[in-house]
Amino acid sequence: MTAWLIEYIGPLMFAGLVLFLLIGYPVAFALAAIGLLFGVIGIQLGLLHPELLQALPQRIFGIMQNDTLLAIPFFTFMGLVLERSGMAEDLLDTLGQLFGTLRGGLAYSVVFVGALLAATTGVVAASVIAMGLISLPIMLRYGYDKRLATGVIAASGTLAQIIPPSLVLIVMADQLGKSIGDLYRGALVPGLMLMAMYAAYVMLVSIFKPSAAPALPASARTLHGKALFRRVLFSLIPPVVLIFLVLGTIFLGVATPTEGGAMGACGALVLAALRRRLSLKVLRQSMDTTAKLSCFIMFILIGSTVFGLVFRGVNGDLWVEHLLTGLPGGAIGFLIVVNVMVFLLAFFLDYFELAFIIVPLLAPVAEKLGIDLVWFGVLLSVNMQTSFLHPPFGFALFYLRSVAPKSVKTSDIYRGAVPFLCIQLFMVGLLIAFPQLATVGPRDLDAAPTVRLDVPVSNDFESAPTVFEVRPQDLDNYWGPATTGEGPNREKP
Amino acid sequence: MQSLLRLSGLIDTVNRKVGVGVGWLILVMTIVSALNATSRKLFSASSNAFLEIQWYLFAAVFLLAAGYTLLSNEHVRVDIVNTRLPSRLRLWVELLCTALFLLPFALLVLYYGWPYFMLSFSSSEWSLNAGGLILWPVKLLIPAGFLLLFLQGVSQLIKLAAALSGRLEAGPLLDRHSVQEDEVAAVLSRQSGDGGDR
Repeated sequence: MTAWLIEYIGPLMFAGLVLFLLIGYPVAFALAAIGLLFGVIGIQLGLLHPELLQALPQRIFGIMQNDTLLAIPFFTFMGLVLERSGMAEDLLDTLGQLFGTLRGGLAYSVVFVGALLAATTGVVAASVIAMGLISLPIMLRYGYDKRLATGVIAASGTLAQIIPPSLVLIVMADQLGKSIGDLYRGALVPGLMLMAMYAAYVMLVSIFKPSAAPALPASARTLHGKALFRRVLFSLIPPVVLIFLVLGTIFLGVATPTEGGAMGACGALVLAALRRRLSLKVLRQSMDTTAKLSCFIMFILIGSTVFGLVFRGVNGDLWVEHLLTGLPGGAIGFLIVVNVMVFLLAFFLDYFELAFIIVPLLAPVAEKLGIDLVWFGVLLSVNMQTSFLHPPFGFALFYLRSVAPKSVKTSDIYRGAVPFLCIQLFMVGLLIAFPQLATVGPRDLDAAPTVRLDVPVSNDFESAPTVFEVRPQDLDNYWGPATTGEGPNREKP
Repeated sequence: MQSLLRLSGLIDTVNRKVGVGVGWLILVMTIVSALNATSRKLFSASSNAFLEIQWYLFAAVFLLAAGYTLLSNEHVRVDIVNTRLPSRLRLWVELLCTALFLLPFALLVLYYGWPYFMLSFSSSEWSLNAGGLILWPVKLLIPAGFLLLFLQGVSQLIKLAAALSGRLEAGPLLDRHSVQEDEVAAVLSRQSGDGGDR
């Protein structure tokens, strides 16, 4: 019995995790609980050092010092301030006025606003709800096909996951040990391509089935000439400028993502104030939601750290590696299996769970197979975007259901998502076939946040290293210019 | 039971106050970080103290808000099975998981986190970076945050037990997605007229 348990403790732990997650208790604590449970079992079996759990505060302290994840609250705060000050409505209204009289025009403006909102906030719920409340009724009133209308809203809302500055990519950068800038640059082209493909789909529908995406009559436009121009100037231009400033400085390496996020958040506050929409209530709500969102993300990380510590301690990582390196077809076989697996897992896990649980297991294997990790991260992010669109549990569909009028059947929302899911999978295929899509452009050479040197300390053991933070410029003194951004002993996440 | 419910109410109030309070730190850290970025670019002046205060503040936000986030039911879950169960069973699941998952975890971190803090405190440990800050206050955040989380866990247990014995309404304990409702309310109030929260 004991021998059997030792042999299969890795797979058992994984199965236990799935079970614990499905119960529906908060993911962070389910992860921690399964880690602790198997930690105790492992100690009893002599597989783990009893001191292992003692290292927990040290691990949590390591997470607190994490430079990469510090960008999360800034971008969340920026997005929420813009959102709560009514930016989405203004944008939708303005673009609807501009493009509404085109065939499929309202659907294009949803795609475009989805991308713009995506570039300011990493929060899917807010975009989908705003568009569902504002655009959906107008689209339905003028005879848009229900499936097209709901599908395009749900899908455009999920663009927030892939277009920088998405939170997803920050987490991915952290888990893969790459810089945020690299992932942002890598995701930009695929993100824009997705947006273009959504728009192309709308165009195809409007050509082959004009009744599904009719043009609005000219009488639906309430603003003309100068008034329309002023509207565009005041509601469209400022957020676009802010987005370009924030992302531009990050891409050019002028600002770190953390700085860019903080400046962007200040910019959002100023914009909201200029438009006289920065009430104490807006400010409070934004801070409150940012605090809770940061808290739940960081606690999943703490939970998954407990899990990972024990999982590696009982050699579960070797089991995963064994499972995945033995696949036929080498790197391509691995990528296909992993993507199919992530696609299926996305049916019931959402993004943060996937990123924190699955990615640390896959990254070392991918690296061993010689796969570029930035590309791998972007690929997985596009794939995980589907977790919001999967019927019947996709969050985007769920949010949309809650705000859609009764005349829209739930099955319409589900069917409407299918073409966009196909586009998403097509993009995954494209990325596998053409890695250049995510790897063009320069990489952050000297902007690697920090290099960690793990120095084992006496009577300590491997899994609880003392971590000294060394910044790249310090490394210069020891090893010459850090041209590759990777000093010796660069720690793998 | 009544006195237990009073205790639970007290814990809720404390965590709500702490949670709302640390929310303001988000604004503080945003301003600090933006000032630091500006001074770095314009005057090439930056210091490790400035960089460190940012993650000190963020650590304070997410650790001290843990109890508040639990109270507001915002820690993410996998909902597919759970929401389909009868509400009595869901209350039981919640009760058992709180007792068996959350509380032991919080206790363990408290148990090891306190000596970890004391070691730093008694040696008045400072950051190793030049011009860095003193370290023990930030290490105190670990036991402090997990104490708040533990207390909130106890409060949830009391409320769940009360709901199971019919002394408390089960609805609020099982409700999800309040952020989403906030969002809907916000959009609607702006739509319905220029009053609202403008």
